[in-house]
Amino acid sequence: MNLKTNLRTVLILVSVVAIVSIGLKLKPILMNYDNFNPEVVYKVNYDYFFKSGDKHTAVKTFVPYQNLRQRISEEKIVNDTTLTFIKDTLKNGNIKGVWNTEIANQYHAVKYQFVFEGKETRHTLPLRFDFISEKHKEHLQDYLLPTENIQSDHSNIKNIAAQLQEETQNDKEIIQNVFDYVAAIPSAPIITLTDALTAIEQNRASCNGKSRLFVAICRNLGYPARIKGGIILENTNKRTSHVWAEVLINEVWVPFDALNNHFAYIPANYLEIHTGDEFLITHTAGIQFDYTYHIDETHHISFLNMNSEEISELSSISLWSLVKGGVMPKNALNLLLLLPIGGLLVAFLRNIIGLKTFGVFLPVLIAFSLLHTGFVFGIVLFVVLILMVGLVSYPFERLGLLYTPKLVISLTFMVSLMIITTMIGIRYDILWLTTLSFFPTIILTIAAERFARATTEDGYKEAIDKLLQTLLATTICYLVLSWSWLPSVLIIFPELLLLIIILAVFLGRYIGIRWVEFYRFRPLFNESISK
Amino acid sequence: MLSTFSNMKSRRKSQVVGLNERNINLIYPNNPKKHYPLADDKVLTKEILHQYAIPCAATYAVIEYNSDIKKAWEYCKKYTTMAIKPANGCGGGGIKIIKKDLDHNWISSGKIISERQIFQHMAAIIMGFFSLGSHDRVLIEECIEPHPFFHKIYPQGVPDFRIITLEHKPLMAMLRMPTDKSDGKANLHQKGVGIGVDMDNGTLTEVYDGKQYFDHHPDTNFKVNGISIPYWKEILEISVDTAKAFPLNYLGIDIVIDKIKGPQIMEINVRPGLGIQLVNKKGLKEVTQKK
Repeated sequence: MNLKTNLRTVLILVSVVAIVSIGLKLKPILMNYDNFNPEVVYKVNYDYFFKSGDKHTAVKTFVPYQNLRQRISEEKIVNDTTLTFIKDTLKNGNIKGVWNTEIANQYHAVKYQFVFEGKETRHTLPLRFDFISEKHKEHLQDYLLPTENIQSDHSNIKNIAAQLQEETQNDKEIIQNVFDYVAAIPSAPIITLTDALTAIEQNRASCNGKSRLFVAICRNLGYPARIKGGIILENTNKRTSHVWAEVLINEVWVPFDALNNHFAYIPANYLEIHTGDEFLITHTAGIQFDYTYHIDETHHISFLNMNSEEISELSSISLWSLVKGGVMPKNALNLLLLLPIGGLLVAFLRNIIGLKTFGVFLPVLIAFSLLHTGFVFGIVLFVVLILMVGLVSYPFERLGLLYTPKLVISLTFMVSLMIITTMIGIRYDILWLTTLSFFPTIILTIAAERFARATTEDGYKEAIDKLLQTLLATTICYLVLSWSWLPSVLIIFPELLLLIIILAVFLGRYIGIRWVEFYRFRPLFNESISK
Repeated sequence: MLSTFSNMKSRRKSQVVGLNERNINLIYPNNPKKHYPLADDKVLTKEILHQYAIPCAATYAVIEYNSDIKKAWEYCKKYTTMAIKPANGCGGGGIKIIKKDLDHNWISSGKIISERQIFQHMAAIIMGFFSLGSHDRVLIEECIEPHPFFHKIYPQGVPDFRIITLEHKPLMAMLRMPTDKSDGKANLHQKGVGIGVDMDNGTLTEVYDGKQYFDHHPDTNFKVNGISIPYWKEILEISVDTAKAFPLNYLGIDIVIDKIKGPQIMEINVRPGLGIQLVNKKGLKEVTQKK
């Protein structure tokens, strides 16, 4: 009894400490709540170096603007005093930055720095697009008429457009055909300008050739389309910028990147800088000029409008230093932090709801794999693996082999199956078949073996029933663990791990009837009611 | 479905013990883990039963090593019938009943079995085929012949009684019987049926097949309701004796009535199932609180 009281005191103390510690951080966090919720944050630096010419010298570039999926902040311009900088918003919404100098033959270093916060955007296309009136078309003629490099009225483009339009039912299919056609052109790292026609003739193109061709075909078919320019942000220094295309569909400019196969989708790390077929940098002819883009990924917490230092100052009790230090890969840290939550969830599902699963923590681990493979494909793969290995192990089960060697046979089957499936996936370019390596092989094997044993011991009906319960538990785990804020919350509030222990103690002392037992013992409950 | 939820509250007050409560309030405080082997290992169980002279099947031999098989067999083969079991088998796996026919052949499951095959089976038990890969012992014991009382209800297989005891007091009991579908097995989840027992009068009550209640065995239509159980007093006595003999205070004791020797302890369980509440239409708390 003494032990129990002591334990209770400790538990109460621990919960109080944890809750107080959480409470202290709660206020600043609520105050800094950010509803933009960026998925990625990068610090970007345009770095220009040039020698001014004989007389007036100008270096022009586009600088990024804000929109619904990207936020630009902490803009900083560094240049020497002999340069003047002007920023000008053009009619089409592009922002132009220009450095001017009158002093001849002098070296200049220019920096333009900002923080980019971005989100991915995925559009669903309607089958038929809204009709565009002739009057409206006049406003859109910039996006419908041919240009020097986007020869949308050329007979070659016309023929291709007509072919792509054949046997289509609706606008969506047409756009899909155009996209597939352009995406299928082999890509080549061509730095020089490729116009739409050359892209067809060479049958190879880089981003600019493909985008121009895509825009040209769209315009030929009467869809308003334009070029979009920017930089794909990665944690590195680079010199390559990127262009893609946008089509105006029901008043929305929908992004298409035929080079990187993004259909009506823009990834979070795409920095949008300008619209229209423009050069990102232009400068006075004949001067010496060099440039680099310095890009650093910044750790952030999506729901907090705070930078790394501010988060560090929040409290000494947080795991932010682990994230900032980069000692541990972020994914590994997330996985580690989510394991106890998943475990608690499984304990709840087993002891309160009464689900029976193959392997205690299997649902959590499978749910983690599903985060990588995608839910539907992941579940299909999981069920197929369990059934196949269970089926193959079945004859060995009947043979009466010793337990451990039998497990080795199942494991070998599991590994072979995974390798074969991955090979098929690579051969036929089926991406989801190649994601098998994300599954925890050994745990999966044990689950398959248990499944095989359950079919012999309790009959296939019970085994399938238990498999369905395992799937249900996995789905619930997936729904909870896929909530992207969860790891961030645990990083700021590691005290939650203490509360998990406390909740687990309560769960461990729970003597109530499990939910499935209400069903199992229902004649008894009905009995007590009728009394 | 809605009505099920509206009845939740009255369900809370019900006397049914669920798995959580069984583990926390009945098994953990009453059955120290270190004594589990006394129940899980049939050889250890029988040693204690023999020590306290509690009626159970006579032990013919216990074989620990392959090298002892021949010697044990020389001693056992004088008997006309015997049961060969793994000491730590689970789910009834590895049990072989063998009988001598008139031509002195050994018969198992209706087929002739050679001595060599019998030895192989024993070797397999020792190697742990039926006990999850760990080394095991072979138990050879007397074969129990069910009392004719059971034949009236259902003629095949070996029916047994399950008595739940808490602190040496019998709380609840049921008779488990095989059915046409259960392949000779009397286990509830292997399609056998359970028959409730009126503890005070020693009579049978209703038959439960996992879904419905009957007043007769589903395959024979023999009415069981109100029938007196032979040797009921002895059955209660040997359960109490058994409960006292073991340092385990919450037990499920399995008893078979032999046609000559009367009630015999078959085995004891430290984690008895909860289905017995359904068979008796009574929550375990109803009886634990009364006693």
